[in-house]
Amino acid sequence: MTQEHDHDHEHHQPQPQPEVALRTEALEALLAERGLVSSNAIDAVVELYENDVGPQNGARVVAHAWADPAYRTRLLGNGTPAVYELGFSGFELNTLVAVENTPAVHNVVVCTLCSCYPWPLLGLPPSWYKSPPYRARAVAEPRAVLREFGLELDSNVEIRVWDSTAEVRYLVVPERPAGTDGWPEEELARLVTRDSMVGTGRALEPSELAGR
Amino acid sequence: MDGVHDMGGMHGFGAVVTPGSDEAYHERWEPRVFALSTLVGIERLGQGSGRAIREEMEPAHYLAASYYERWLWSIERRLERKGTIAPGDVDRWVERLSAGEAAPPHADAAQAARAVETIGRTDELGPARETRFAVGSRVRVLRMRPAGHTRCPRYVRGAEGVVEALRGTDRFPDIGPYEGPPEPVYSVAFASDDLFGASEEGRWRVLLDLFESYLEAA
Repeated sequence: MTQEHDHDHEHHQPQPQPEVALRTEALEALLAERGLVSSNAIDAVVELYENDVGPQNGARVVAHAWADPAYRTRLLGNGTPAVYELGFSGFELNTLVAVENTPAVHNVVVCTLCSCYPWPLLGLPPSWYKSPPYRARAVAEPRAVLREFGLELDSNVEIRVWDSTAEVRYLVVPERPAGTDGWPEEELARLVTRDSMVGTGRALEPSELAGR
Repeated sequence: MDGVHDMGGMHGFGAVVTPGSDEAYHERWEPRVFALSTLVGIERLGQGSGRAIREEMEPAHYLAASYYERWLWSIERRLERKGTIAPGDVDRWVERLSAGEAAPPHADAAQAARAVETIGRTDELGPARETRFAVGSRVRVLRMRPAGHTRCPRYVRGAEGVVEALRGTDRFPDIGPYEGPPEPVYSVAFASDDLFGASEEGRWRVLLDLFESYLEAA
């Protein structure tokens, strides 16, 4: 990112919100006082999404699809039962559609109306996914958006932008990097980034694994 | 409703990738708001859809608020509409905490276990039965200006596309959010120039999941 860009974007930096933090605490206190929501239930939900639910789950699905052609077919045919085979289910998975990136087709996922995202596979979405610029621009200028993520696609690649407007959630299966033949699934999964499963990135190359 | 939340195609919001944009949240209260919203749903303490209620925020407020600040606003409205809390209740606790009072302890291990178990449940669309359109049909999105919640974005209204797949059946969201009769949901593909005109980016496709009531034969 250039100096000029850094300057332009300064006003987008997240600012601390002490008043909203206090109001959240007040709502927790109110619901605790009435015996309606317990602090350990709040802690349990927070910890669930911090420790157990995240892109490591989607990465396992993608790695399994790369390694097992029959599983890949099941995943692309009917996503929800296919990910359940690996133990993944839950809120906001809904009807899961897996779409595959190839040298000819690049899929990318957005929710222009809110922030629909396959939580059980990818965790809670990054801030950019929920932000007005992504929601506004992904459908109308996808190449410019992908370029911000460092993804420059050849002009002959067909881009398919999926706007999650109903209770259907999308998982992008990125292209498997070259030089990974015979790799065990655990190693393959390390190549699968969150952004590669939204379509704003590619899977890592083997050479990019060092230092991660 | 045709509010500022319906952002597809808008200009002026700037860059997507900015400092901090890669993180899911930045402060500890944010995941706690997420958890509160989830628990209000699981414990049936609120009324209405948080997603639909957030669209009722006054436009300038919606745009100025941070993401989980909008969620907090919608949780309070859900609780008020159910009668679980009254307007002013949260403000009084803000004052009590500010005056140094500690939040009352309330532990409930069963509630925590119930939440984790419920979060693990998937709610798939129902099977599709009688449908007006087949895969390959050309369809046009109706012109409309719905006053309430809708899942039909402005940028596709009036445009023609092709049905690529049938996703299943779901409650029509526009009649009392998510309480309408079940109807088919289609994956419809649009050519970019049918939505946005000619672009220096060339052509691409945009695909949306649209309810049957949004569509007519083209």
